[in-house]
Amino acid sequence: MELLRPRTIAEATAALRDGAVALAGGTEVVPLLRDGPLLAARLVPLAGVVPRGVDGRRATPEAEQSHEVGAAAATAAPRPVLRVGAGTTLAELEVDPEIPAALREACRLAASPQLRSMGTLGGNLLQATRCWYWRLHSGCWLQGGDRCHAREGEHREHAFFGNGRCASAHPSDPAAALLALGATLRTDRRELPLSELYRLPRDDDRSTTTLAADELLLELEVPSPDASVYLKAMDRKRFAFALVGVAAARSGGEVRIALAGAAPIPWLLAAPDALDEATPLPGTSYKVEVARTLVDRALEAVAP
Amino acid sequence: MARLIKTEKEVEGHYTETWVVVEEDVLEQWPAGPRAVVGQPAPRIDGHERARGEARYTADLALPGMLHTAVLRSPYARARVRRIDASRALTAPGVRAVLLPEGADLPPQHAPEAIASEPGAIGAALAERARVAPLTSEPGYEGHAVAAVAAETQAQAQAALRLLAVDWEPLEPLLDADDAVRRKSLVSEPRVNERGDLERGLAEADVVVEAVYRTQNVLHNSLETHQAICHWHGDGELDVYISTQFVWGVRDAVAERFGLERDKVRVVCEYMGGGFGSKNGPGEYTLIAAELARRTGRPVRCALDRRDESRAAGNRNATIQRLVAGARADGTLTALGGEFVNAVGWDGLSASTAGPMQLLYACDNVRTVEYGARLNTPPNAAFRAPGFVEGTFGLECLIDELAAKLDLDPLEVRRRNYATTDPVNERDYSAKGLERCYQLAERHWARRDDVRARSDGAWKRGVGLASQIWFGAGGPPSYAWLRLNAEGHATVITAMQDIGTGTRTAVAQIAAEELGFPLARVSVALGDSARGPFASISAGSSTTPSMGPAVRAAAADVKRQLLEIAAQRYAVDISTLTVEDGRIVAGGSRSWPVEEITGLLGDGQLLGKGARGPNPTGMRVLTFGVQVAEVAVDVGTGEVVVERVAAIHDVGRIVNPLGARSQVEGGIVQAIGYALSEARLLDPASGTVLTKTLDAYKLPTIADVPEIVTEFVDEPDPHLTNLGSKGLGEPPIIPTAAAIANAIRDATGADVRSLPVTREEMLRALREARERERDRLGAPAA
Repeated sequence: MELLRPRTIAEATAALRDGAVALAGGTEVVPLLRDGPLLAARLVPLAGVVPRGVDGRRATPEAEQSHEVGAAAATAAPRPVLRVGAGTTLAELEVDPEIPAALREACRLAASPQLRSMGTLGGNLLQATRCWYWRLHSGCWLQGGDRCHAREGEHREHAFFGNGRCASAHPSDPAAALLALGATLRTDRRELPLSELYRLPRDDDRSTTTLAADELLLELEVPSPDASVYLKAMDRKRFAFALVGVAAARSGGEVRIALAGAAPIPWLLAAPDALDEATPLPGTSYKVEVARTLVDRALEAVAP
Repeated sequence: MARLIKTEKEVEGHYTETWVVVEEDVLEQWPAGPRAVVGQPAPRIDGHERARGEARYTADLALPGMLHTAVLRSPYARARVRRIDASRALTAPGVRAVLLPEGADLPPQHAPEAIASEPGAIGAALAERARVAPLTSEPGYEGHAVAAVAAETQAQAQAALRLLAVDWEPLEPLLDADDAVRRKSLVSEPRVNERGDLERGLAEADVVVEAVYRTQNVLHNSLETHQAICHWHGDGELDVYISTQFVWGVRDAVAERFGLERDKVRVVCEYMGGGFGSKNGPGEYTLIAAELARRTGRPVRCALDRRDESRAAGNRNATIQRLVAGARADGTLTALGGEFVNAVGWDGLSASTAGPMQLLYACDNVRTVEYGARLNTPPNAAFRAPGFVEGTFGLECLIDELAAKLDLDPLEVRRRNYATTDPVNERDYSAKGLERCYQLAERHWARRDDVRARSDGAWKRGVGLASQIWFGAGGPPSYAWLRLNAEGHATVITAMQDIGTGTRTAVAQIAAEELGFPLARVSVALGDSARGPFASISAGSSTTPSMGPAVRAAAADVKRQLLEIAAQRYAVDISTLTVEDGRIVAGGSRSWPVEEITGLLGDGQLLGKGARGPNPTGMRVLTFGVQVAEVAVDVGTGEVVVERVAAIHDVGRIVNPLGARSQVEGGIVQAIGYALSEARLLDPASGTVLTKTLDAYKLPTIADVPEIVTEFVDEPDPHLTNLGSKGLGEPPIIPTAAAIANAIRDATGADVRSLPVTREEMLRALREARERERDRLGAPAA
């Protein structure tokens, strides 16, 4: 295996265009290479290429976005937006007091301290499902096969939304938090709302993101809400992927709710009662019950 | 003096009566209570070595010229290998030998000259059919070993494995345990145990409860994976370096397999990274390594990786327990019955899941039937109190459900049915401290009202308890030598293994105590069958009760010689002499450092030997305990948090209170995983293992560990050896899951009956409890 050393974004994307695989913290790519679902002849390390750290702590020019209350509202201060480099580690985000609570908590409740010290935000958003059939490289529908093994098989960790073709559940906690926060994303070629990064896999295209093979995720813009929270149900207290993760963020009167572990992609819940439209499998109906409780608690936590 | 006697040997509940030659156990037991060294908390004498990474585990060893092995394991739960073409693998870089199963229709292999023409394969052995290695062409579970490759590096071996062209014929697997019982696919005959008349007992009952309990399949997950290095040398002599719980058992099994005299096989295990019952025998990996080493003339290592551990290293099998209990209104049990299905897997022993029901309570009418289902799933292996962990979950939950129906205190129901003699064979107990355990548990049990009162919103809190019964007597034969040198330093020599439990420290304490030495003056040389006498298996909670008395006897032998010399040197009556803290003391008035006498030895040494005496005849030697668990349940999300576990156990004399506490804490942590999060899952259609990695298979983390309070009865068993100690490896894992489930019932009124208690199971049980409550409240109105 060849390890390339790109110095610029252009060099990195050129290498990706030739079929190399991007490598940031390595906490996802290395196990996938070892276990088989990912093949790569060349790796493109992104350290030093993709921005790392929280900076550009600037205010949004659009004052009308501000729905702040109290002292901040009195001075009509514009709503701050944080720029977070995609190469920022989860460990850096979880202790940053300027990061909204939902994202901080989502980072703190993810993985283990060791993994959070290596794993980057960009890598976390692009990680693959933990579906055991997919991880064991079983040739399932998502891998180009003809059926989802989990739907008829063992699926207690799987999806209860968007699971008609593939029952996998998206594991990212920060993705749910950023979705609720209304984050936007800058790549080497475009800006887009985070919600447009993800798409449900289709028969003709089974990828779960809209990212081109040679496209690099560079930076996120994270608005600061009035209140936000992330609640996570796991099989043990720490170091487990979400059975259900619920992020809620309130900006003025508007509350956005997003779920982790609920669908093949991070799932924006249009309204709390949208849980009535869940399509659980026999083994995931308990997750809907868990989600109801966590959504209620999250709404209570962000209420003015 | 050596005697020929008949004695009972017990390992994990199986008693066998055999002739054995034993030396008499002439030493009086020490009085109860802490002594100068024994009974004092001792940090592990090898702790620094382990912490610094200097302790040499099997995984750390590399012999000169050593080859590495990759094993082809069946990807199917059931299949037939029609044909294997090994020609490409044989000529792959670095490959030195390929081992294929008997039975497969093997194509002609490369001619020797073709191999010789390939530079990477000069000297390569032809692919041969396995003669002694347990390879199969009809795999019965996913992970069953089919073929093996030895190469210069692990990567080369693995690469060559992918070049084996295998023609598989997948077959329909049998995966359902109840289905297997119906079809009579069993590993052994059903086991029926009966006393009294179950039906009569049920008819006499004022209250009857029936329930079905299910326990899941869990994995040992030893830190050190299963592995061995085999090296043939000299005139057909075989060295085996292995991570094992039984140095001597491996020696005998390997010798038998290869048709060798036993002492031609030397087995070494100096440090060992955990086994929990799964490393009692040599395992296929050892036999594969030995066979490949024989063919290549090179040392060969064969090691499982973490993924193989989840399918080919054994497991605690799942169970289905259909139980019934009847009792009078005052709580007196009139009947206990159970049908137990052990989902054993492809192979293995059907453990005594009914054991707790037979042994724990005085009940006249008991009937149990145990089935061991043979399935196309990975074979089980003994796992820390096999059978009793599973069976105690069912029985002790059933007793609490009975208590709830009778509206009696669960502790009171247990005391009402206390057995004063063994209910199975009416033997006296050598010692039984369970009532003392209950007394010590009372202050923890009394926290119930306070704990429940701390319920807060969706978080409901409660307390539950469960009793523990298990074996742990150990037995003969086991031997130890002791060597005292001129500097006054003693070395215990015995070919036992310390599997991580701290036995090395415990036997050093026993030797130091007997010698009258400080602990720092005693070392232990162990783990080598060529360099020490026979020693016990480390399974069935038997190492300390088997080895401790032998080590003490060896130390007493040396102390006698030391005092004989001192009596002559100082011209004093030997009966006035003792050794205390490294000094020879005469009648309490004069004393001399031990080195004054040992210094006279020069290159001489004082050598002692000791043997484990017999177990008491006609008595039941058992261990007992009770654990009290406090839990909090989030009724909105089904989350269960264990907040505190108090563990009170009776295992006779405690040699090292610090090590013993560590054993209890480890057992409880492992039990919390069993109760709440661990499960080896299979694909229900193919029978392949889905939880092959430690992100999918959820061991508890340190954040899941509650406050653990450990207490011991710490009374020597007066009938058991010169030490009065029983084993403690297994007892602490036995009652925890039931105590947690009973605490959940106390907190919420919900009956959880399936392990692990996931959120799904917890929410199901809560829903069931709510419906029951609605029916109950609705009934009067109807």
